[in-house]
Amino acid sequence: MNEERFDAIIVGGGLAGSTAAYVLAREGLEVLLIERGNYAGSKNMTGGRLYAHSLEKIIPNFAAEAPVERRVVRERISMMTQNDAITMDYHSPRLAETGSDSYVVLRGKFDRWLFDKAEEAGAIATAGIKADQLIVENNRVTGVICGGEEMKADVVILADGANSLLAEKAGLRKRVQPSQVAVGVKETYGLPAKVIEDRFGLSSDEGAAWLFAGSPSNGLVGGGFLYTNKESLSLGLVLGLQHIGESSKTIEDMMVDFANHAEIAPFIKDGKLLERSGHIVPEAGLSMVSTLYGDGFLICGDAAGFCLNIGYMVRGMDLAITSGELAAKTVLEAKEKGDFSSASLQSYKRMLDQSFILKDLSVYKNFPAFMENPRIFKQYPAMLSNIMADLFVIDGTPAVPLRKKAMKHLKAVGLMNLAKDGLKGVKSV
Amino acid sequence: MTLNNVWIITDNQNAVGELCGGGRQLGAQVSVVLFGDQNQAKEAIASGADKVFLFEQPENSVMIEAYSKSIAELLRTEKADLAMVYSSIRGKLMAGRIAAQLATSALAISELKVEDGRIITRRMVYGGAAMRTEKTLSETVVVTVGTGVFEAGPKDETRQGTVTAVNPNVASDGIRVLETRPKQGEVVNLSAAKRVVGVGRGFSAKEDLKMAEELAALIGAEMGCSRPIAEGEKWMSKERYIGVSGVFLKADIYVSLGVSGQIQHMVGANPSKTLVAINKDKNAPVFKQADIGLVGDIYHVLPQIIAKLKAQK
Amino acid sequence: MRVISCCKAVPEEQDIVVAKDRQISFEKAEWKFGQYDLNAVEAGKQLVEAAGGQLSGLCAGGNILDNSKMKKDILSRGLDDLYLVIDESLEQADTYQSARVLEAAIKKIGDFDLVLCGAGSSDLYAQQVGNQLGELLGIPVVNAVNRIMPQGDKVIVERALENEIQVLEITLPAVLSVTSEINVPRIPGMKDIIAANKKPVTKFTLSEIEVTNSLPSSTVLSTLAPEQAERRLTILEGESEDIVDAFVKLLRAELK
Ligand SMILES: Cc1cc2nc3c(=O)[nH]c(=O)nc-3n(C[C@H](O)[C@H](O)[C@H](O)COP(=O)(O)OP(=O)(O)OC[C@H]3O[C@@H](n4cnc5c(N)ncnc54)[C@H](O)[C@@H]3O)c2cc1C
Ligand SMILES: Cc1cc2nc3c(=O)[nH]c(=O)nc-3n(C[C@H](O)[C@H](O)[C@H](O)COP(=O)(O)OP(=O)(O)OC[C@H]3O[C@@H](n4cnc5c(N)ncnc54)[C@H](O)[C@@H]3O)c2cc1C
Ligand SMILES: Nc1ncnc2c1ncn2[C@@H]1O[C@H](COP(=O)(O)O)[C@@H](O)[C@H]1O
Repeated sequence: MNEERFDAIIVGGGLAGSTAAYVLAREGLEVLLIERGNYAGSKNMTGGRLYAHSLEKIIPNFAAEAPVERRVVRERISMMTQNDAITMDYHSPRLAETGSDSYVVLRGKFDRWLFDKAEEAGAIATAGIKADQLIVENNRVTGVICGGEEMKADVVILADGANSLLAEKAGLRKRVQPSQVAVGVKETYGLPAKVIEDRFGLSSDEGAAWLFAGSPSNGLVGGGFLYTNKESLSLGLVLGLQHIGESSKTIEDMMVDFANHAEIAPFIKDGKLLERSGHIVPEAGLSMVSTLYGDGFLICGDAAGFCLNIGYMVRGMDLAITSGELAAKTVLEAKEKGDFSSASLQSYKRMLDQSFILKDLSVYKNFPAFMENPRIFKQYPAMLSNIMADLFVIDGTPAVPLRKKAMKHLKAVGLMNLAKDGLKGVKSV
Repeated sequence: MTLNNVWIITDNQNAVGELCGGGRQLGAQVSVVLFGDQNQAKEAIASGADKVFLFEQPENSVMIEAYSKSIAELLRTEKADLAMVYSSIRGKLMAGRIAAQLATSALAISELKVEDGRIITRRMVYGGAAMRTEKTLSETVVVTVGTGVFEAGPKDETRQGTVTAVNPNVASDGIRVLETRPKQGEVVNLSAAKRVVGVGRGFSAKEDLKMAEELAALIGAEMGCSRPIAEGEKWMSKERYIGVSGVFLKADIYVSLGVSGQIQHMVGANPSKTLVAINKDKNAPVFKQADIGLVGDIYHVLPQIIAKLKAQK
Repeated sequence: MRVISCCKAVPEEQDIVVAKDRQISFEKAEWKFGQYDLNAVEAGKQLVEAAGGQLSGLCAGGNILDNSKMKKDILSRGLDDLYLVIDESLEQADTYQSARVLEAAIKKIGDFDLVLCGAGSSDLYAQQVGNQLGELLGIPVVNAVNRIMPQGDKVIVERALENEIQVLEITLPAVLSVTSEINVPRIPGMKDIIAANKKPVTKFTLSEIEVTNSLPSSTVLSTLAPEQAERRLTILEGESEDIVDAFVKLLRAELK
């Protein structure tokens, strides 16, 4: 057989890769989309909330067609200690307005749908085969090798996720350091839709997103999440890897304690454990974004480091989608010029700079460092919880003025520390 | 209510007893098609046959399946209600061909009864994930039946029956038997074993099965396997594979090693009292149906287990 | 040699959902091609590779066959082209009905030397469609074929009976059902998958192949999951001395 040649080969059938393939195929390019999982999304995992703005621009009104679980209309944030929880609850139709709407998705279904869209648009989309290696000739990426077979293309888009090995193997980027990634674990509990809606105060199709800081991560950088799917709940933790060795609990134990926390347990009660999974999350923010393009290649999505990890919240899917779109647009331009050199592909960086991706990443530039501060995840939740206890627990002892009550707890953390952290926190955002 | 005319077709004399037992239960008149000699016909009559149609063994180059058309013709003219064909490989081919001649399906059944004059069959579908019960509609129902479905009645040497020799002129049907050679097989009866150790594709080389054999010897168990070990790898004989298309165990304990626990396998393992499984994948389906499980690599844990069992012997 | 390999689309058994009343549902099931039908494709591929010719796939089934993944999947396994007979009713077809439809489709395709079937379909495992198909076509038919060697306008095959091997000389055209031992189906590579995108697919409706309605041989009264024995589910995890010790204790208790 003749050597196969494509306009573009896209490695990774996650959201970044499928979006890139879709956009290119729609314009009539010959594209090959390669996903190593048995189907797209089979190996992916996510807390589950997709901000719609990104995909909306590419496939208007996608939520009507795509397998989304629920539209988020209720946001909750809890600060937790071992036994307590302080929860903020925001319920608003504004959360659901087109443009600012967000959806809980299950990647097993959603990624597959997008992957199929790419195929429908004309891409050759293959699942179950892994790209083993990039072909690099004269310092130029010219294709990929899968199972010993060479496939060539004008350009290769790497969208192979946080643990992107291909670029690293080809010496195109540095190895990812443990301090740059967090680990996510997730459990899915099956429950009837009606039960979920009753427990969270939702009507059908409506969903809730709930984030947790404090005890769930056992003092480590990280936090917990709980999302409502159609007929299941996704419960999970994101934990910084850097100090994981010093933790008094294993991740497994943390997950068990989290699920058993009095604030959570009633919500997942009687739920049937359907699935348990783990995944890496890039978390170093802008500092992790390294090489984005070069001769014959572009990197997008998690592979490029486009992921915002704000401790208790991870946001990467919309970045993945838009970066995939921009990579595709860059390729379309390059195709027009017939030039796939690094110089030609640098317009990718320009587009990224102008998009929300690099803007948002630079807003949170110092956030990861700020989050490294152990007080954030250990002492502050305890402090708040103690203040709350003083406020609400009436046991007959004489009342103390509120200011005094609070002072006691603030002092425990150290006023100087508080001021420093407050300042740093504000500066990093 | 029973059927009028039950027919039995078998290339294996050993099946005659059970099939005739079933025939007697189901029908007023039992006719048997055999490919053998008068002695076999006598045995069939003693076992419950009323009529025996004795097809002569064709010449060496012709398969007995070439008789299918004549048998179908016979079933039609004799107004058979039910034809039970022994489910040997030759039996299956005959059953399919006969059924096609009679414009009906051939069902591989695991139970059969008559209700209101209609034949009700049960068979396993979806690899054992379900049992399907059907009411048959054809004029002549064709089924294949293995051993264990019916019970043989007591033999009565004084029973009377007719024997008709049939010698139709068979064409070779475009198939010539060039040679028949015996397969070297072993005789095992896994379904009678009280303890069984079963191996699956978790073993990466035939030599490694020695570990499993050592365990089996220590606990006094017979060796079994999954289908791919017998058919794909050919590391063990086909008589040893457990499952829907293989052996059904009746063991007190079944220990599986490196078996994923697909439904087709577990159906055969399930009748065992206690299921023990070792697999390195904690999500392997085998752990959903185990009494005792160990999530671990057989190459690491099996030597330890063997050592411990030996030490405490 | 012109070879047609017959393949059936089946639901993934692992995905079958069993309800409390033991009813089963396929709603969430993935579809795939029968495990043993792949042996028929591989056997065909090997013949065509050795003797030259063309290998076609033939599938009769419901609308799932029109799914592009299903088509690509089977095409990537070495077929030159694919024929589909699609009608929702075919998902429930019994062996005779299936054989009738395949017979009509094969007549429509026209020219062929060999039709290959698998050891049995993964859902019904009746092991009969090939046998019935051969009889309907009125050509030589053999099951349990373990080896196929082309020889002019004939093939020499080995057939594995319970205790014997038969060596048969078969005049073509013929229908053979192969065993699952005959070969190990190859795993398609990237190039096979890419090539599958470009291979011709012909779709037939039942009326296009002029198959007259054949009545079902039976009415299904029920399809129920068997009753499951309750298992204790004491699952230990790990390879440490302690864990293995605990496991051995449990095992010993059972062996008492
Ligand atoms: C616990 C957790 C919670 C999260 N919560 C959220 C959230 O609520 N909202 C949000 O927006 N984001 C969230 N994220 C982040 C989000 O999941 C990622 O940013 C997003 O998935 C990135 O998409 P991607 O397409 O770049 O990469 P991925 O989704 O990782 O896709 C990469 C794909 O490439 C494939 N692949 C890899 N290597 C190869 C190869 N060599 N050959 C072929 N294929 C290959 C993989 O199988 C995979 O399908 C969360 C992440 C985690 C871990
Ligand atoms: C119609 C039909 C009928 C069938 N009938 C039968 C039947 O009767 N009997 C039968 O057995 N099958 C039957 N099958 C096949 C069945 O579907 C499965 O393919 C088969 O049982 C799988 O065999 P396995 O568990 O050995 O192999 P696999 O499914 O490949 O599983 C191997 C297992 O070993 C584990 N493993 C790997 N390495 C190690 C290690 N080092 N330590 C520990 N564990 C390890 C893996 O995690 C995996 O779970 C049938 C299929 C069909 C379609
Ligand atoms: N609907 C079908 N379409 C194509 N081939 C089929 C179909 N049904 C059965 N077959 C073939 O016939 C063989 C035996 O099927 P079965 O008799 O159902 O066990 C299978 O392995 C397939 O090769």
